[in-house]
Amino acid sequence: MKRSSSLRGYVITRTLLAIPMLLILLTVVFLLMRVAPGDPISAALGGKLPAAELARRKHDAGYDRPLAVQYVEYLKDVATLNFGTTILDNRPVTQVIAQNGAATLELTFFAMIVAMVAGVGIGLLAGAYRDTAIDLGGRLFGIVLYAAPVFFLGFLAQLTFGKWLDWLPTSGQTSPVVGATLQTHTNILVIDAIIDRNWSALQDVLRHLIMPSVVLGLVIGGIFIRLVRVNLLQTMKGDYVEAARARGVKEPRVVYKHAFKNALVPVITIMGLTFALLLGGAVLTEETFNWPGIGAELVRYLDNRDYIAVQGIVVVTGIIVVIVSLAIDILNAWVDPRIRY
Amino acid sequence: MRSAGAREERGFYVRRTLRVGAAVAVLAVMVAACKSNSSTAGGSGAPNSSATIVHGTTDSIVSLDPAGQYDLGSQQISGEIYDNLLVIPAGGNTPEASAAQSCAYSDPKTYTCTLKPGLKFSDGSPLTSEDVAFSFKRNLEINDPNGACSLLNAINKPGADGCKWNPASIDTPDDATITFHLNAPDATWPMILTSSAAYIVPSDVFPETKLQPDDKVIGSGHYTLTKYTPGQQVVLAPNPNWWGDPPANGGVIVQYFDKSSALKLALEQGDVDVGWRTFTPTDVEGMKGESQLQVLTGPGSEIRYLVFNESFPAGKELAVRQAVAMTVDRQAIVHNVYNDTVAPLWSMVPSALPGHIDAFKDAYGDSPDVAGAKKALQDAGISTPVPLEIWWTPTHYGDSSADEYAEIKRSLESSGLFTVTLKSTEWDTYINAAVTDQYPNYQLGWFPDYPDPDNYVFTFYSSASFLNDHYKNAKVDQLLADERASTDQAQRVKDFQEIQKIGAQDVPIVPIWEGRQLAVTTQGITGVQDTLDVAYLLRYWMIGKSS
Repeated sequence: MKRSSSLRGYVITRTLLAIPMLLILLTVVFLLMRVAPGDPISAALGGKLPAAELARRKHDAGYDRPLAVQYVEYLKDVATLNFGTTILDNRPVTQVIAQNGAATLELTFFAMIVAMVAGVGIGLLAGAYRDTAIDLGGRLFGIVLYAAPVFFLGFLAQLTFGKWLDWLPTSGQTSPVVGATLQTHTNILVIDAIIDRNWSALQDVLRHLIMPSVVLGLVIGGIFIRLVRVNLLQTMKGDYVEAARARGVKEPRVVYKHAFKNALVPVITIMGLTFALLLGGAVLTEETFNWPGIGAELVRYLDNRDYIAVQGIVVVTGIIVVIVSLAIDILNAWVDPRIRY
Repeated sequence: MRSAGAREERGFYVRRTLRVGAAVAVLAVMVAACKSNSSTAGGSGAPNSSATIVHGTTDSIVSLDPAGQYDLGSQQISGEIYDNLLVIPAGGNTPEASAAQSCAYSDPKTYTCTLKPGLKFSDGSPLTSEDVAFSFKRNLEINDPNGACSLLNAINKPGADGCKWNPASIDTPDDATITFHLNAPDATWPMILTSSAAYIVPSDVFPETKLQPDDKVIGSGHYTLTKYTPGQQVVLAPNPNWWGDPPANGGVIVQYFDKSSALKLALEQGDVDVGWRTFTPTDVEGMKGESQLQVLTGPGSEIRYLVFNESFPAGKELAVRQAVAMTVDRQAIVHNVYNDTVAPLWSMVPSALPGHIDAFKDAYGDSPDVAGAKKALQDAGISTPVPLEIWWTPTHYGDSSADEYAEIKRSLESSGLFTVTLKSTEWDTYINAAVTDQYPNYQLGWFPDYPDPDNYVFTFYSSASFLNDHYKNAKVDQLLADERASTDQAQRVKDFQEIQKIGAQDVPIVPIWEGRQLAVTTQGITGVQDTLDVAYLLRYWMIGKSS
């Protein structure tokens, strides 16, 4: 009981702390967008219309109202989950988040699979073969991946596998014809193709997923390699590991069942946070591969000073990150009773 | 010391890890090797009228509702979905009847059109004069911040602040007749009827006071919208109720790309049949050497120019402005920066438009005249080098702007007559500052609203120009009023030529280059060359793909 009430208290505290965090985020986003020079009307029609006409349109759209008035309206809208309609292209912000967010979710999910397989696998090898060529190779591989800009790796991949070998498509979520004919149910095209039992479309979607998810996954995997290796070496020094060996437990079991699983606890935390951050959009990857994700869309709206779109996307992304990090903290606290505030 | 047994056992999970990795790699290769059959590469032989054309572009759509758009990306799709009373035909620059059977002035302020009989929207409903009037009315009433209602000044409510519908501006005495009562004689009105502000929409579908959702737009043009994924794709199918000849294809997919490099790769891989707007000069150079691609060019109407604000010391001096006009090396910019994908511009009216003359070439020659510039400055008693501060923006006119203005700086400074300080800022800040007397000399560009010289000369040389460059010439203002009021095209051409000559003498603006339209297609694609003209519309209905 003591443990469950302690956990309950921890959950309540963490949840309550999320509220001021979100409020700060909302306020900072609002102020930054309003204080930065420019406005959506000038961005779109400057150089086309006289200054007086631009000013009139800005006034009609309410962009010159007092900041305090705009702020209060903004908070009211957020509280009622009304994120508005984008100024640039008249889309409901929720539609932008649903459609483009789904594309980012798809990319992120598969990238994380690649990151986990590559990162954990190579990190495990490096830790197990410490101070050997395998360890050195694994660490170097991780450093190179982590240090290389993702767009550079993306361009290399496009050049090699797209242009020279012509094995894989270089951009987009699907080929144009498949995109035109595939019915969208969830906006996650892999799932949509499966729902429709459209196997040729599924193949097309998977082919388009390979390059961006592998590139992004390897870059993230570079971080995981080092993290897994370091944590594995740390846990291998533990007394319980020696004790297991002393009891005659076979080495693979010692490493895999005892040391490795404990080494993964902090890694899972990082994985979860990385996943949450990527849901905000892996901008460089999306731009490199013309992936219609939320990150690339956010950049477009930022370029055009679309306050409404940027506020909505950042707020929703912020909420997602807060929820996911809260979930990870709760999970960790539940798994490891030592973790309490 | 680890035992041999421990090493062997550790190898167990090493082998297991490697087996898992190998399985994943084999699966990936299998998926990659099974290339989809969705390539769109054309073949040789007769055009296939049921083939789907894929157009790749870096443009984007603001709105597919005519009342909410004033950008090329939106107009490109809308030009396929909607019809106008008048259109610019392929290769032409004079309005021709489309939805209208005929249009004519009965007096300088009254313009009457008669609709073709039996017109229908794509949903089968009849198109009448009421729909035409409704289309103009809602454009003015909605007054969308992103819309082009400012093009309809000729029928705007007199004295209104901004766009406002004037009920007296349009009569519809019967289902086929529309009479426009213009506020003032306006020879450009037929041209405006070809623009995006004049697309015809159904009055029983589109709301009167707000925009129609993009995925629910209906028109009477060559195509209907069957699918719209914002930021990604537009799918068009032939309109079964189109009054004219069916298109040369079975439909069009428009695929949107963030970067021209991605579009280029898609063309090379055959995922896209036609790439149009916009490639960098480097992209174009790379594609010229590829056997599976054709690079096509046509006349354009996009221009770039340098503005002098005459309220600043340097801009105030005619001799300085003329000396800059004489010293700028347009050929070097065109060749070194743009790899000849653009052409030198010798007038503020592009060469493809009627009435164009090479006014600046006639006045100053076609290569830098340093001696002439030096003499002009000496005669005016201006000591050299003249300090010039020139502004440009890296975020609106493409990546080549930096090189363009570096080249301008180089050519001006190499004459020994100027010292140039280049400054830049991003577009939003730039455009507000440029037209509010904060920049002495600055870069701008222009796409026409309609392919008539008035859309250039009035925009740039009128004393009410949006440039706010403080240039005023009473004779030019009179000539502008005359050409707008005249329906005699020959007289208008003379007026335009006179304006261009004055513009070359007064040099409030130095024209730099004019764009050529450029499209890249895969082999087997037909009809694109014929649609590359000053109207800036890729007419999908003309594009075919060989079987």
